Amino acid sequence: MSNHEQLRQLILDILLLGPEEYSLELCRDQVETWDSLSVVSIAVGLNETFGYHPTPSEATAIHCVNDVISLLEAKGISFGD
Amino acid sequence: MTLSACSKLRESHLATKPIACSLDELRGLDLGSTAVWGTPSRVDTVLKHLDGVCIDMLEEARNSFDTLIVVGGGTRIDAAKMWRAERRPDLRLVAIPSVWGSGAEASNIVVQNAKDKKEIRIGDQYLPDIRCVVLDLLDSLPEESARFACGDAWSHALEGFLSPLADDSLRRELSDLMRAMSELPLGKHPDWFELSARACQGQAKSSVGLVHGIAHTLERPLQIGQPGYGWGHARLCALFLYPVARFNRQASDVFETLLAEYELDPDLLMNKMHDLFSIRDYDLVLKPLEKHWAQVMRDPCTRTNSALVRPQSLAFFIDRALP
Repeated sequence: MSNHEQLRQLILDILLLGPEEYSLELCRDQVETWDSLSVVSIAVGLNETFGYHPTPSEATAIHCVNDVISLLEAKGISFGD
Repeated sequence: MTLSACSKLRESHLATKPIACSLDELRGLDLGSTAVWGTPSRVDTVLKHLDGVCIDMLEEARNSFDTLIVVGGGTRIDAAKMWRAERRPDLRLVAIPSVWGSGAEASNIVVQNAKDKKEIRIGDQYLPDIRCVVLDLLDSLPEESARFACGDAWSHALEGFLSPLADDSLRRELSDLMRAMSELPLGKHPDWFELSARACQGQAKSSVGLVHGIAHTLERPLQIGQPGYGWGHARLCALFLYPVARFNRQASDVFETLLAEYELDPDLLMNKMHDLFSIRDYDLVLKPLEKHWAQVMRDPCTRTNSALVRPQSLAFFIDRALP
């Protein structure tokens, strides 16, 4: 599974979304389930899936899916797949 | 661990509410006019040691009394904490637990039964002023309840330690606590009161995890669907410690890494969890777990589990939770 696919599945599982609701532009203020606890879950999930655990400030700075990709790419995890 | 060792463990907390008092210390305080609320037999036990008036309902303390002593388990203590905060914030509240596990006597958390779920409230207004242990209450505690209470205490300590919200200082504190807990039997022992209170205070600084998410979700449906089996929070915590620990270990390296970093023996811990596990009880809860899994996933405690809980994680508990 590509990194894009893994991230997509992670976000769907954490935010309890249907596949049609996912997009790279998906933002916190568009999703009711993207609350502070989801921020914690996303941090845990990124560590499990990509081996990088965001710092608290990095985790709270994530506002949309694209932010996750930018953060991981800055840590050397490629989404060019 | 001896009681004196427990006293050392609690020293760092003496400056904060609730103040931990021995029965002798409590007897030496001027509590003013005192109401005592609890089941009659427990109130009788407390009134052998302390002066006070038995009340049947909290409202009886609405317009009188300087001190309310609540004696009971977590549900009753939480009810008194909530009532005091809302109706008589000037009233001194003394919490005397009849069993360890919930840690309600030591925490700023109240858990209440809402229509179909548990509601958790957090705030310093819920902290009792004083907590005290009356060891005579142990005499009437059933062995099975004592065992489940140990599971409750272990789940607070382990989940608080593993929580993604815990910091190094808290993990150090809780790892020391778990080493002390591992020396105690999984049954009646007076030191459980202090260690359990500390475990609850610890998890209140971070969070709990999937064990609590499952317990909060399943408690009510099991009580309704399987009346007579005595399902309750502590029993569910004791039951799910082992399968959830196995889930956390296989889902992520956080479990192994943190235990190694804080010099905790994973095999020793897993053996303790296994000793609290019951295959008979597990068989009884699997179908309800399957039915309510979506609700388990949405529970706030589940969402701060050390390993991510996904829709497909249910399969682990159905097929692979046991070796």
